[in-house]
Amino acid sequence: MIEVAGLRVVLPPSTVALHGVDLSIGRGEFVVVLGRSGAGKTTFLRCLNRLVEPTAGTIRVAGRAVTGAGAVAVREVRRQIGMVFQQFNLVRRATAIDNVLAGRLGYVPPIASVFGSFPQADRELARACLDQVGLGHLAERRADKLSGGEQQRVAIARALAQRPEVILADEPTASLDPALTSSIMDILKAINTEQGLTLVVSQHQLATALAYATRIVGFRQGRVTFDGRPTAVTPTVVRAIYGDGDGDVR
Amino acid sequence: MEMSDEAGPFHVEKKTGRAELRRVCLRPPSAQAGLTVPATMTRAGLFVALLVFAWLVWDTGADPIRLARGLPWIFDFLRRMMPPDLSVLPAALLGALKTVEIALLGTAVAAVLALPLGFLSARNVAPGAVFYPARAVLNFFRSVDTLVYALVFVAAVGLGPFPGVLAVVAYTTTSLAKLYGEAVEGVDPGPVDAITATGATRLQVLRFGVIPQVLPLFLSYVLYRLETNIRAATVLGFVGAGGIGFYLQTYLRMIDYRAASTVLLVTVAMVMVVDAISSRLRDRLV
Repeated sequence: MIEVAGLRVVLPPSTVALHGVDLSIGRGEFVVVLGRSGAGKTTFLRCLNRLVEPTAGTIRVAGRAVTGAGAVAVREVRRQIGMVFQQFNLVRRATAIDNVLAGRLGYVPPIASVFGSFPQADRELARACLDQVGLGHLAERRADKLSGGEQQRVAIARALAQRPEVILADEPTASLDPALTSSIMDILKAINTEQGLTLVVSQHQLATALAYATRIVGFRQGRVTFDGRPTAVTPTVVRAIYGDGDGDVR
Repeated sequence: MEMSDEAGPFHVEKKTGRAELRRVCLRPPSAQAGLTVPATMTRAGLFVALLVFAWLVWDTGADPIRLARGLPWIFDFLRRMMPPDLSVLPAALLGALKTVEIALLGTAVAAVLALPLGFLSARNVAPGAVFYPARAVLNFFRSVDTLVYALVFVAAVGLGPFPGVLAVVAYTTTSLAKLYGEAVEGVDPGPVDAITATGATRLQVLRFGVIPQVLPLFLSYVLYRLETNIRAATVLGFVGAGGIGFYLQTYLRMIDYRAASTVLLVTVAMVMVVDAISSRLRDRLV
């Protein structure tokens, strides 16, 4: 589903964020990307839908080329990739349902959408996605009047509204109360197991990662230092990812 | 080692957000650039400032004693304005209405004309080749005040409120464009990322990621400009561009100070009413 080869990212002026990453992720996997702040997790995820421009290497997602694609092709592949962010990134002044509807922007007629006109089928789909995350009753509430956990669920619904094959989630629980972590991760897990979507989730918390992942990928200083099943994550592996004598996993 | 390991890449992550945004791209407003000055520089700066101040006082002939000697004349002027001659009230009210009309029409037209200019002068939306010329043009036209534009337009289209409207449009368009542009530069990149990630076109990203964030600010700036334009429009009449200023100038020239005072009172009332309405509307926007 996701094929990454020789991915290298140099951020201006000369910081190397990723040093040649090779990774192949199959359909239906639940991959958790682990690593310290700055290890390259976010950059990696953002390369997969070209929010960050790779310096070198190739990426294919759902059978389409991400790297080297022109503007139209990039938009088409982005439609297949839902993204959930640490800060939710909802449009604060818009209602929950309008935020979810934004997930359809890649499909609806662009000019009509700019004037606020969306086909009925897309409206119904957005509604269904909001119901799926259990927030149908808050459809008309403004995003900034929702709690953090609710906002993240709206953001997940927006990603689902894309009818994607892949969902990328960049530290989806890092801005939330720890008690909400499992509720968000449970929703993501359900999407993975029930709908068969491929998930790539970055996480700070080791325990959460081990509980949900089918596969763990550890990043350290822009390189993959571990790639395997959660059961294979030993203290040695943890040290390889997080560094010696620094168990600050939080 | 551990330190640089931590600090270095963290900085990278922050940059990631920006590097990526060069497409829909959002860079921080230049205003955020910090300044730190050592203490000796502060003292030297203070000394220079005092010298400049002294020179300014000398060169402009600023003299408190001259002001004190002139005070009786001001009181005499005020005394001769009393009581206001209310017979000119209808004329003054008509003039005030015209002034409000000039400011309203001029501000409304400028609010729309400034939209494309505002986006073109936002660093994070417009490419450099457009951004720099747009900024330069805006700064050039903004450095000329409404009153000066009024002189030009009176010469071009003749006396009356119309050149006043044109003058308000000319100045307000450029000043609003600059404010719009800065608002666009200050948007939260998060929703812009999120909309981009759905596969939206650039126009859709603007419409759904940027505009909802800046629209309340835009409206607030327009109302603020309306308030300042009402005040600016009161003097447009002095140069023949219509409105209440015309009456004020006429009565002053006729040495009819009591009539002039009525006009002044109407002006004050008009500005206060518009300010009150406008600031109430602005409060609702935020």
